[in-house]
Amino acid sequence: MRVQLLHLFWNEFRKRREKTSLITFAIAWGALSLLLLMSFGRGLSNAGSVNFKGLGNTLIMVSRGQTSKPYQGLPRARRIHIHMEDLELLKRQIPGIAMISPEANNNHSISYHSKESNRSINGVYPCFAEMRSQVPQAGGRFINDLDQEKARRVAFIGWNVAKELFGGGNPVGKEIRIERTPFTVVGVMKKKQQSSTYQGPDSETVYIPFSTFCQIDFQRFLDRIHIRPADPKDALFMENQVRRILGRKYRFADDDANAVNFWNTIRDYETGAKIFKGIEIFLSIIGGLTLLIGAVGVTNLMYAVVKERTREIGIKMALGARRRHIVMQFFLETSVIFFKGTLWGTLVAFNIVSLVNLIPVGYEDFGIKAYLLRPIFSFDILIIFLVVLCVLVFVSGIFPALRASRQNPIDALRYE
Amino acid sequence: MIEFRNISKVYKMGEVEFVALKGVFIAVQKGGFISIMGPSGSGKSTLMNIIGCLDTPTEGSYYLDGENVSGLTFDQLSTIRNRKVGFVFQNFNLLPYASAYENIELPMLFNGKKNTERKRRVNELLEMVGLLPWARHRPTEMSGGQQQRVAIARALAMDPPIILADEPTGNLDSKSGHEIMDIFSRLWKEGRTILMVTHDPAIAAFSQSTIRLLDGAVQENGAAH
Repeated sequence: MRVQLLHLFWNEFRKRREKTSLITFAIAWGALSLLLLMSFGRGLSNAGSVNFKGLGNTLIMVSRGQTSKPYQGLPRARRIHIHMEDLELLKRQIPGIAMISPEANNNHSISYHSKESNRSINGVYPCFAEMRSQVPQAGGRFINDLDQEKARRVAFIGWNVAKELFGGGNPVGKEIRIERTPFTVVGVMKKKQQSSTYQGPDSETVYIPFSTFCQIDFQRFLDRIHIRPADPKDALFMENQVRRILGRKYRFADDDANAVNFWNTIRDYETGAKIFKGIEIFLSIIGGLTLLIGAVGVTNLMYAVVKERTREIGIKMALGARRRHIVMQFFLETSVIFFKGTLWGTLVAFNIVSLVNLIPVGYEDFGIKAYLLRPIFSFDILIIFLVVLCVLVFVSGIFPALRASRQNPIDALRYE
Repeated sequence: MIEFRNISKVYKMGEVEFVALKGVFIAVQKGGFISIMGPSGSGKSTLMNIIGCLDTPTEGSYYLDGENVSGLTFDQLSTIRNRKVGFVFQNFNLLPYASAYENIELPMLFNGKKNTERKRRVNELLEMVGLLPWARHRPTEMSGGQQQRVAIARALAMDPPIILADEPTGNLDSKSGHEIMDIFSRLWKEGRTILMVTHDPAIAAFSQSTIRLLDGAVQENGAAH
């Protein structure tokens, strides 16, 4: 196609520009809807997965249970407890464990000066923090290997505990008492989103080294073992391995689902992610339909334009225009309308997404805001958008253009 | 140059068939100036359209420059229209949104002529029809005679050997009409073949010979004036 012809087409289009402004707006509106729904859908989906990870990022939790079927002459309904040496056993026998930590907990009273409260005190290993996405606020730390080794009396506290005991003050370095034993606060948990809990959210919990916990509150059993597989894909396989190893030791069937309990966040995460992905796709389809309405409008307009310019088409044919010249002209006009509309739509969508992201969202109340006010305008959204757009441009442009080019030149010349 | 062998054209409108041309034989030599006359509905326009490759005959064969063009595709016919034929219409048929310059340039755009060449040719033609100062004006800003002169310039843009004029003076006052006819005479003397449909015997007097049509058949061919 010659540049000069493009120039001619552009001139002809420009001279009738005002007629296309309404339909350009419809396209802009459709593009805006599609982009916003995709961005907000992605944001929703993302907030969902952040919340799942708030409990723990790729984490298998093993806790005590009760057999649900007889096994080797033993009756059902036997309680199966988990012991500290099971942790060593699992560590020895299962390759591919990236991290493993015991957890024992009990409620105790804690106090700072005159303020007192009753909180869950949990004894854990240092690697617990990473498994459970617990990050210390600036100026503090989680319990470390040395704390564990020397059974130091140090505590890492949830942000709600800190607020309750210290108000706005900095708790790090201060001494609190658990029952009557003094502990030094080494860190406060940074706020995070958490959508599922057991025994209350992490924000209301006090963590101390497991070794220290055994000294102040001796328990025969562990409440939980936390395991993180090196590869998240092994999560289900590892769950089965743990069940088999414990089953051999405590004598319960491999397929006894209740003998020990598992909380596998990877499985939860996958289910949740699918639901959110479903919502995201649903929203995108709605957006796509909005744009489709705009595209139908463009097709309509182009049919009208073709009719209106029938005579001009006839003149061009008489002067030697080939079919493809005519097709090209009308197809390009469709493309220009789409281009203008989507350009505006995209700009507005981009700005809305940026502005909405400026609205502060409090993560402690993982409420509706965290889901709705964090839209994501990502590269792959743009790619999907462009693909949808190209298909719509082609479909809505080609039919009017073909109709224009297939006219009989005589009839076109006679058209009034 | 132009040869019709037993050309018929039948239009179908639903059940009704309308015979526009039946068994027409004509031959026009290169350099001829022929006027085509006849009452309304006698088939003049159909004849012109087939000569100009805007329409195809239902039956018979049409030889243009020795080539049978009856079976060619739309795009092949477009090329012939572009290179060999220049159309001048009764109602001018200029693009309303384009200036005189752009209208004249149009056939060369479809042929892909270079920018400098187009510019030279358009200016040459504007000068020839005496409209150089009107280059940037749109058809709506010109008189009928001026518009028709633009249309003639456009018809000549690709320097075609044949000019087809369908009542070129029909919408003009007699003074403008004579100006137009002067241009046609000049073109004929330059060696172009001109075919012109007209009702007006005074206009037909400019031509070499006349083809008279009645009810789709040639009634008289070649009578001198």
